[in-house]
Amino acid sequence: MRSFIRKLRWPDYLILVLLITFFGYIWYSIGGTLNYKWRWELIPGYIVGWHSGREEYFANLLLQGLTATIRISIYAGILALILGIILGVARCSPNLTVRMLARTYLEFLRNIPPVVVVFIFFFFLSQQLIDALNLARWSRGIARQDDILLWQIFFGDMRRFPSLISGVIVLALFESAFVGEIVRAGIQSIPRGQREAARSIGMSHFQELRYVVLPQALKKVVPPMANQFITLIKDSSIISLISVQELTFKTVELVASSRMIFEAWITTAAFYFIVCFGLSRVFARLEREKKTDI
Amino acid sequence: MSALDMEHPRYKALPKQPSIQRFFGSAPVSVAIYLIVIGMIVYGSFAGARNMGYNWQWYRIPDYIYTFTDDGFQWGEIAYGLVATLNLSFTAFVFATLLGLLIALLRLSDLIVGNAVALGFLELIRNIPLLVLLYLFYYVLGPVFGFDRYTASILTLGVFHAALISEILRAGINAVAIGQWEAAKSIGMSQGQIYRYIILPQSIRFMLPPMTGEVVHLIKSSAIVSVIAVAELTTVGRNIISDTYMSFEIWFTIAIVYMAVTLTLSVGVTYLERRYAVDH
Amino acid sequence: MKLTRRALGIALAAATATTIAAPAISQSATQGLSSESVIETIKQDGVIRIGLSLFVPWSMRDKNGDLIGFELDVGRQLAEDMGVEVEFVPTSWDGIIPALVAGNFDAIISGMSITAQRNLTVNFTNPYAYSGLAILANKSMTEGMSLEDYNSADVTFAARRGATPAVVIAKHFPDATLLLFDEDGAATQEVLNGNAHASMAAQPTPNREAGRNPETLHVPFANLYDPRGEAFAIRKGDPDALNFFNNWIAQQWRSGWLEERHNYWFNTEEWAGEVAQ
Repeated sequence: MRSFIRKLRWPDYLILVLLITFFGYIWYSIGGTLNYKWRWELIPGYIVGWHSGREEYFANLLLQGLTATIRISIYAGILALILGIILGVARCSPNLTVRMLARTYLEFLRNIPPVVVVFIFFFFLSQQLIDALNLARWSRGIARQDDILLWQIFFGDMRRFPSLISGVIVLALFESAFVGEIVRAGIQSIPRGQREAARSIGMSHFQELRYVVLPQALKKVVPPMANQFITLIKDSSIISLISVQELTFKTVELVASSRMIFEAWITTAAFYFIVCFGLSRVFARLEREKKTDI
Repeated sequence: MSALDMEHPRYKALPKQPSIQRFFGSAPVSVAIYLIVIGMIVYGSFAGARNMGYNWQWYRIPDYIYTFTDDGFQWGEIAYGLVATLNLSFTAFVFATLLGLLIALLRLSDLIVGNAVALGFLELIRNIPLLVLLYLFYYVLGPVFGFDRYTASILTLGVFHAALISEILRAGINAVAIGQWEAAKSIGMSQGQIYRYIILPQSIRFMLPPMTGEVVHLIKSSAIVSVIAVAELTTVGRNIISDTYMSFEIWFTIAIVYMAVTLTLSVGVTYLERRYAVDH
Repeated sequence: MKLTRRALGIALAAATATTIAAPAISQSATQGLSSESVIETIKQDGVIRIGLSLFVPWSMRDKNGDLIGFELDVGRQLAEDMGVEVEFVPTSWDGIIPALVAGNFDAIISGMSITAQRNLTVNFTNPYAYSGLAILANKSMTEGMSLEDYNSADVTFAARRGATPAVVIAKHFPDATLLLFDEDGAATQEVLNGNAHASMAAQPTPNREAGRNPETLHVPFANLYDPRGEAFAIRKGDPDALNFFNNWIAQQWRSGWLEERHNYWFNTEEWAGEVAQ
């Protein structure tokens, strides 16, 4: 311990003093000048609540939002992976038309702010798709049945199913651009010798992709993909702007209903942090283990 | 004895693709097919929107970009929004670079607390969504420190991108050959002097391309401050839409403006990358 | 063999482009449906979907995470009288009219004031609630002042920039000093701190703020400025729905139910226990 203290130098002390002053000021002003009454004791009730009517425990607003975010992220991640692989392959296609179409899609999604993409998609596509597939009636039909536990585990409140699907699709479309770039980089990093060898034994372009290029490329790009998944979880907060009931939207509702501004936002930020940081630690550990396996 | 004697019966020329394939595979035809497909998609959405009862009002759009009034040429709201976005992004970028430099230097130093604080800051910012960070700054820290929505946006964008920029700066500094450090130390320069005269000037060429990419990224992130009604391009767009309900035309125009800005900047990035390419 | 694959590829591209355009083309079928009234759709589906945006006490979440509030009572009663289920669709306020026009729900029941601007895009029923702006004043600073006294240069008003209260204050109290802020909360804070004499807000906010800080704040006058009605918003081109909702609202006024509910949510704080206030 003493050696640790001896290692600290004067800038360290300066930083510590600055930090303490900073947080002290925040604490003081929240309690003092702003007259804000902390109500932390209510927060756990908004995560898991005791329903006074039904006499049972249930997942309240924040937990509902968290599970919705996790569901949306997983489904959008899978969809983005599929779309991204198609896009990445298309970007490397020998056919100019396909390459150009993929490039247009990519540049369109990459150069426009995510907020704008979300609104454009929501206004143009999502309602049409929902109507065309008659999703609202179908999901309501399911919601009216009695034993829908399985549906609820996978999709939450079935009455909100169309908005969940909207959120998943728009998030997947947006992220597929980035996944596509990762896949393209992976494909292009495969040595030409592999491709030439595949051609020389008579494989078609499609077979070459399927048996030689993609397996190697996908294995190579797993680390950036994992990072992209974490980015996807963070980007999912934007779909709260199109009223999808995920964590950020639920927090806005909570703040509007109870005025617990500070506690609510700090708790939500903590939730996102725990999920993203936790995942990044898990991925880092997996990567390390994979390296030592070699 | 030439190895590639094409006349020799054992070496046959590769069969040419059938001419119809060559026709479709050629560049002009590919471009034509591409344009046809794009045209079909655009037409499909136009027709679909009209069937939805949507009333196209393209003729109103130029008024929002510029007008000719009695006072002469005047820029419209969209133009002002664009200027506000660029202003906001520039200010946030300067703040982000300074903060990012501080964090990078802390990470590179051997200060224990400094390193811990920098690492904590980075992990915290990197694992919270930008929208949640914005709400935190505006609704939580705003009342505490008394800053308005414009300041809250600058701080949010600055802090968020400082985390990304500090990594770029750190990579750039680390990319400077270690021989430079050693040489500088051997002639007795202090840490500060080494940074100022030797390392930072050389690291700039490594940092410049990713930094310009970061500028593009920041301009895109700036759209999110429209949720707290700060004057910028996306906010202007949403305001016009809420007044006139020309959703398609406005969103399309806004998207085009953003694309124009970012593509121009990307061209700049490519130019810089080529100019500063490190040839060892 | 290669030619077939090439042709297949082109066909696939064409099919993809058509599929992308297909949902748009299918609109002509939906348009046929939309020429019928939304009442028909509600009866067929057995559910009325109501869009709302959380705003205390019109609608909010209680401790159980359920939706409670004035709008919820109105919506549930409406659904009961129609004999259908009710679904509430919480939506963010600035997207609520576009969502109605796009068909995400059948009506907006969310304390939406009737304005000419909004009426250009949606139809409004007759009002089911009335509100207006009231003055919220600092008790000690405005002791014994009459309404005319407020219109003098040494009286300071605080208001949110660009919002209706700012416009109304400027109009009715032109001689007073007006401080503009970015947020309603900041304006109210100024009055609380004693840096401004008064501010204006839509009822019931002044009543509730005064109730929360009875030593510092009070609502000196009962006058309501810029009185407006709140009504249901429905899509244009639907006379049947307009007729149905108007008659329903008229009946609820006549029976006194609307007034009683409005009183419960806006003038009492009996429900405060259910929500974390």
